[in-house]
Amino acid sequence: MLYRLFLSLLLVLLGLRIFSYFSNVPNFPEGTHIRINNRVTSEPLIFENSQYFKLYGLKIYLPKYPQISYGDEIIVEGIISKDKLTDAKLVKIATSDNVLIRLREKLLSFYKKNLPIDHSALVAGVVLGSKQNIRPEFWERLKITGTVHVVVASGMNVSIVAKFLISALVIFLPRRKAIPLALLGIWTYSIMSGFDAPIIRASIMGSITFVAQELGKLYYAGRALIFSAIIMIFFKPEWLIDLGFLLSFVATTSILLLNDSIYNFFKKVPDILRSDLSSSLSAQIGVAPILFASFGQFNILSPLYNLAVLWTIPIITLIGMISAIVSLMYVPAAQILLFLVYPFTSWFITITTFLQ
Amino acid sequence: MRKNWFYILIFLCLVSVLVWFSAFYNTSENLKIIACDVGQGDALFITTGSQQILIDGGPDNKVLLCLSTNMPFWDREIELVILTHPEKDHFGGLIDVFENYSVVNFITSGLSSSSKEYQVLKEEVGSSATKVHSVKDGSTIRLGLIGFEIVWPSREFLANNSQKISEIGSDVIGSYTTSRNKNDFSIVSVFSFGNFDALLTGDIEDEASDAVAEKLLQKNIKGIEYIKVSHHGSKNGLSGKLLEVTNPKVAVISVGRNNSYGHPHAEVVKMLESYGLRVLRTDVMGDVVVQSNGISWQVKD
Repeated sequence: MLYRLFLSLLLVLLGLRIFSYFSNVPNFPEGTHIRINNRVTSEPLIFENSQYFKLYGLKIYLPKYPQISYGDEIIVEGIISKDKLTDAKLVKIATSDNVLIRLREKLLSFYKKNLPIDHSALVAGVVLGSKQNIRPEFWERLKITGTVHVVVASGMNVSIVAKFLISALVIFLPRRKAIPLALLGIWTYSIMSGFDAPIIRASIMGSITFVAQELGKLYYAGRALIFSAIIMIFFKPEWLIDLGFLLSFVATTSILLLNDSIYNFFKKVPDILRSDLSSSLSAQIGVAPILFASFGQFNILSPLYNLAVLWTIPIITLIGMISAIVSLMYVPAAQILLFLVYPFTSWFITITTFLQ
Repeated sequence: MRKNWFYILIFLCLVSVLVWFSAFYNTSENLKIIACDVGQGDALFITTGSQQILIDGGPDNKVLLCLSTNMPFWDREIELVILTHPEKDHFGGLIDVFENYSVVNFITSGLSSSSKEYQVLKEEVGSSATKVHSVKDGSTIRLGLIGFEIVWPSREFLANNSQKISEIGSDVIGSYTTSRNKNDFSIVSVFSFGNFDALLTGDIEDEASDAVAEKLLQKNIKGIEYIKVSHHGSKNGLSGKLLEVTNPKVAVISVGRNNSYGHPHAEVVKMLESYGLRVLRTDVMGDVVVQSNGISWQVKD
């Protein structure tokens, strides 16, 4: 009873928050000349001659240089035309002095310098959710094969990191002490990998799992999912219309609903592949209609592509992370460690670019 | 405990896979000149053994794909990068090259550009450990079995057409400016590997093209096999005189598919064919690869 009351109170608050947000969104008439001063909260997409990002829900295209990165504080001027800022001009750019963001830049440059293109882009994407170095052709292939979710900020990476952290920490510490540290690690990681909706969703859910364990409470994934959606929308109502947010929640929901029955259905599939197959298939079933509606494309073979490459992701993440940590101490050793990732990234790239 | 051994075993397997990977990688001592398919722009990649030279970088990061397919994955060092002249379709991709590779030597003509992208390139080079040199007519470069003889821009041409902007040594990127067309300041060089010679022309236009022909006559340089057609086969690029003097066998045109400039111009292609040259175009063939062992050479189809 108390729980229900609490939940309905929460929903009412959420409704109020959404209402007040959207009624206060500045609504400029077409053609207004405006100047925006804000921090860039996700990594710009880079095209041949331009870079693209969003501020206050406005699509902004700027020349490729000077390059803007996640965390920079910028001032842009332009003219509003629907959801776009046309004639955008960069007035000022101040790079972030946040330690974590600086660290991220350093690590991205380490990957770039030590692996060939595509390979480095893949590692940077998988480990840190960076899209900076992905060539347009490669990006297109990832989209067509339905594997782009592993390269952009993805909840899967967070859960890999969380698992890795907790299993590494319990070697040295009792579980009760390891959990707060793992929590700290997850949130540090989520700041470093660009505060995108899927990452935050996974971080909140991961945190709830850990806290539930610590308090000895039962954990319901469904409840945690709803709870994280509420928290996120409360803090940033514009996520309500964010495609990444929508995809992440729909995918997670459909994994929660369908995974068990699909897993049981594939009795004959060998164990190593079975859980990848069932989870990617169940996620795909959920997101397919959204992908089709928003991009007009959906690949029926996508679960197969995912099946073929998903097993490499934890390995790429692990090698990428360990070599990144070592690179802060001694680069040549880190470079050799990073080379170990090459067979796996080669596999991933060969599979996704094989059938053109 | 047993699990740890299992991981160590996997780790060792992985290491040995990589070692075999590299052992079988073909690092032949033969020469490969690759005109990279970088769209509308120039990027010429030359490799022999474990040495790499890049002449211009195309407009954007497309050049990285060409480098990665023609270099072993563990080699992250390019021995020499030459920028013929500071126009974006030649240097744009170099920004990405400097971000992704260690470059040992960087050679320019010293001509500066005020474009924003060029400032970014300058910063990239400045923050790297790369040695910067500038060259003009008369300079020579040696790298293992490879030699470059620079034949353009000439001292007189520079003296008449440029203004110095910095006195701090001549090895600064961008030590002079010009009010003339930058194309004519392109570094033109004769590249040689054994008996195989190539004329690399940047973007020089007809006037400079004739002047280069004159220079080559003076220096008695002939027997050139390979010519990179200047200015993407533009009408005001390659001159007939240069072809007469050098008498090359194969002409390579680096040009983008359906580019808006109409490059290469039909007249230029016709002229090349009338001199009996085989014309290779990046917009038709993709990467154009010519191989040589220093004695004979062939086009890799």
